[in-house]
Amino acid sequence: MIATIPSASLLGVDGQPVAVEVHVSNGLPGFTVVGLPDAACRESRDRVRAALLSSGMPWPLRRVTVNLAPSGLRKGGAGLDLPIAVGLLVASGELPAECVAGCAFVAELGLDGSLRPVPGMVPLVDALDAPAVAVPLSCAHEAGLVGRHTVRAAATLRELVAALRGEVPWPPLPDVSSAAVRAPSPPPDLSEVRGQRLGRWALEVAAAGGHHLLFSGPPGAGKTLLARRLPGLLPALSAEEALDATRVHSAAGEPLPPGGLVERPPFRAPHHSASSISLVGGGSGFLKPGEVSLSHNGVLFLDELGEFPAAVLDMLRQPLEEGVVRVSRIRQMCTFPARFLLVAAMNPCPCGGVGSPGGCRCSEQARLRYQRRVSGPLLDRFDLRVPVMRPEVDHLMGGPPGETSAVVAERVAAARAMARARGVRVNAELPATVLDDVAPLTPEAWRAVEWHLRRGSLTARGFHRVRRVARTLADLAGHEGDVLEEHVCAALDLRVEPLVLEGAA
Amino acid sequence: MIRHPEPPTSTPIPAAVLAPAPAPQRTAPAPGPAPGSSGPDWPHLSGDDLALVALLGLPFLSWDRLRALLQGRTPSQAWAAVCHGQAGPGLRRAAAAGPPLAELAATYATVPFARHGSPRYPPALAADHEAPAAVFWRGDLSVLDRPRVALVGTRRCTHYGRDVARQLGHELAQAGVCVVSGLAAGIDGAAHEGALVGVAEAEADGGAPGRPVAVVGSGLDIVYPRRHARLWERVAEAGVVLTEAPLGARPEPWRFPARNRIIAALAHVLVVVESRATGGSMHTVRAAEERGVPVLAVPGPVRSRASEGTNLLLSQGCHPACDTQDVLAALALRTAGLPGPVGYLPHPERPEPEGLAAAVLAAVDWTPTAVEQVLARTDLPVPAVSAALNRLEQDGWVAREAGWWQRC
Repeated sequence: MIATIPSASLLGVDGQPVAVEVHVSNGLPGFTVVGLPDAACRESRDRVRAALLSSGMPWPLRRVTVNLAPSGLRKGGAGLDLPIAVGLLVASGELPAECVAGCAFVAELGLDGSLRPVPGMVPLVDALDAPAVAVPLSCAHEAGLVGRHTVRAAATLRELVAALRGEVPWPPLPDVSSAAVRAPSPPPDLSEVRGQRLGRWALEVAAAGGHHLLFSGPPGAGKTLLARRLPGLLPALSAEEALDATRVHSAAGEPLPPGGLVERPPFRAPHHSASSISLVGGGSGFLKPGEVSLSHNGVLFLDELGEFPAAVLDMLRQPLEEGVVRVSRIRQMCTFPARFLLVAAMNPCPCGGVGSPGGCRCSEQARLRYQRRVSGPLLDRFDLRVPVMRPEVDHLMGGPPGETSAVVAERVAAARAMARARGVRVNAELPATVLDDVAPLTPEAWRAVEWHLRRGSLTARGFHRVRRVARTLADLAGHEGDVLEEHVCAALDLRVEPLVLEGAA
Repeated sequence: MIRHPEPPTSTPIPAAVLAPAPAPQRTAPAPGPAPGSSGPDWPHLSGDDLALVALLGLPFLSWDRLRALLQGRTPSQAWAAVCHGQAGPGLRRAAAAGPPLAELAATYATVPFARHGSPRYPPALAADHEAPAAVFWRGDLSVLDRPRVALVGTRRCTHYGRDVARQLGHELAQAGVCVVSGLAAGIDGAAHEGALVGVAEAEADGGAPGRPVAVVGSGLDIVYPRRHARLWERVAEAGVVLTEAPLGARPEPWRFPARNRIIAALAHVLVVVESRATGGSMHTVRAAEERGVPVLAVPGPVRSRASEGTNLLLSQGCHPACDTQDVLAALALRTAGLPGPVGYLPHPERPEPEGLAAAVLAAVDWTPTAVEQVLARTDLPVPAVSAALNRLEQDGWVAREAGWWQRC
């Protein structure tokens, strides 16, 4: 007897459909899994056997061959346990074939016969063509996010088989709304930041225009405090963006928010000891998305940028340029989405100093080493490079609180709407060729730019970046037409050379 | 080709043995300046010259150790002594590992250099009690005949210091004074940049400017800091770059205090533009005081780290250098008879700021001020402050550096 059960396994952040074929025939009792299974997949034989026996079902004392088609692709993970078990029951005649028709299965089996969740439920279910899908009860909501399938869920194998036979009804799906009432704690609010007008403003510009942002300043100035408030200024993800982000989170095995869908822009802050693979994704055997992909459609925050190894930082250049990471291994190649807003914070030099010119106590060697960490090309990707200084005591002690995140987010949303009208998601993505049309400069603004170009304090490439930022500034001010002098000047003020690159020989 | 003589003899090697026939055709291109930088009649090197160059190339042989070695010996005798291990086994091994003298002869055939005591040796240095044993140079050494002012300061200067150094260099060069400095980052570089502008302007007016004189710590073929490569070239074209280090000498830390004593020895007046309380510039000051060279210091803000040293000098009774006139006055006391000072440059005209710009200018200090501070003091929106600061910058009222603003 033979049975074919549809399922899926994970390749990067995408699912690939897998047909689990189970063949039971006469011969010496044995159990073989073929079709390039990985270790976890091959071990399913023992889990399936124990789960079947614990659930009071017979283990066929016959020759069993399991093929995972297409057999040329490597399969991994324990998500194929359930389809193998179900296929075995069908092939050995325990379960009528018509009971499982049109239903796909994804779950790991426990030795006691329980169904366990597997990472990547969203992309796995998305890859399935069957009209129905059976998953562990705890994954039911995640599986339902795709929306194309009838989701059936059970807690144990015994429950599942009984429901398949029609002996008992399918257990009710867990109530999503009750999970959703546990609303996530709101992101930190901008009004909690005292003073720091330039820093707050830079956050607003970064959120509105999608410009990468670098804060530089002495320790304790509030760089991290500011950066953590950026996600609160970004608009909620669209349905499509949310599903993309959820797929990546699901594939990486990251916990999903209570609602199941990643609706707020994700905020990732890897420590500076992160390896390059953990940052961009990859790994041996199974390719996992890295931090840049987890921050897809959100914010990647690199605190202490100067402490990251230079090799790790240079990995960021491709995703920053193309919005994707291509990870190639000898056996497989994956493309991970990685379109994120990069926010970084660094000290002006190793000693931190007071941040002002001439105030540093570092040796020349220490400064050179620090400077080499952050390569020029990476630094160039930051449209906004903003000095942050320690707030003055008056601001800390009192004064009126600043605007709240909600107020700023409204302006950001309006500016983003203006960018969408130009055919781009955000102004940072404006191609250089259309800048003349969408960001024309007034004569006064031209004079200001020309002065800097002639003096050599602005390069041609820097000029394009300044124009994009200036366009965002004009949008935030609600100014549709030509870009004014004040916008260009402010864009220049938001793009300063970090001090460490100035005085070093 | 003699590395060191095999049978140890106590008699010095005759110079004729050490000086091989000059290589008429150089096969390998020698590092260093282009052959055109010396005259075709450059005399062939004597045995003493070669021995001295070889001695200078030995590692860890500082100038005072070298002087002790040359005490009562000719350079050839000193070289033989080193080769025989009379100066220690370390130096003997280093001498054996170095390039053979014949190779040195080919390398130095086109490099202008003078041994102490030779007629080409700059007279300005010859009388100094710590005169270098030899100097190598690029450019025209005769520019040293004019009055010379050394402008020195910290590498980590503020905009204020850089601006003052540039202005002093500019005006002194125009006034016919040689600007002596070290081509280091910061104040040194700014002083020479200013001097080059002054030279160009004075030449355009048909005047006789003072030429820039750079004293560097490394060999002439090792440009340090590298980003001053262009400045280095321009100084060599307009004036002279000189050093006591042989070709290939790396900018090792000990070479800079040694370089500073040459700057002090060459200067008629030393001006410290900005310096921390400890630092290379304070070495130069001590070397100048030993030689009785008047030291002037540019006053700076009392809160600025970069002016700690200069303010300390002022409190100890050093004369302030508030403008070029002060320097020229100090110079006139010492250089009577030399081509004298000529005039003083007023500050260029700049339009008086009004309204909002005036308010913003009032919020900027004479020390580095962050935009954040300007915003807090003026309570204006960011774009308005940015636009005002940019206008003020273009008019020359303020200057920016790494996101900080400063009056100037």
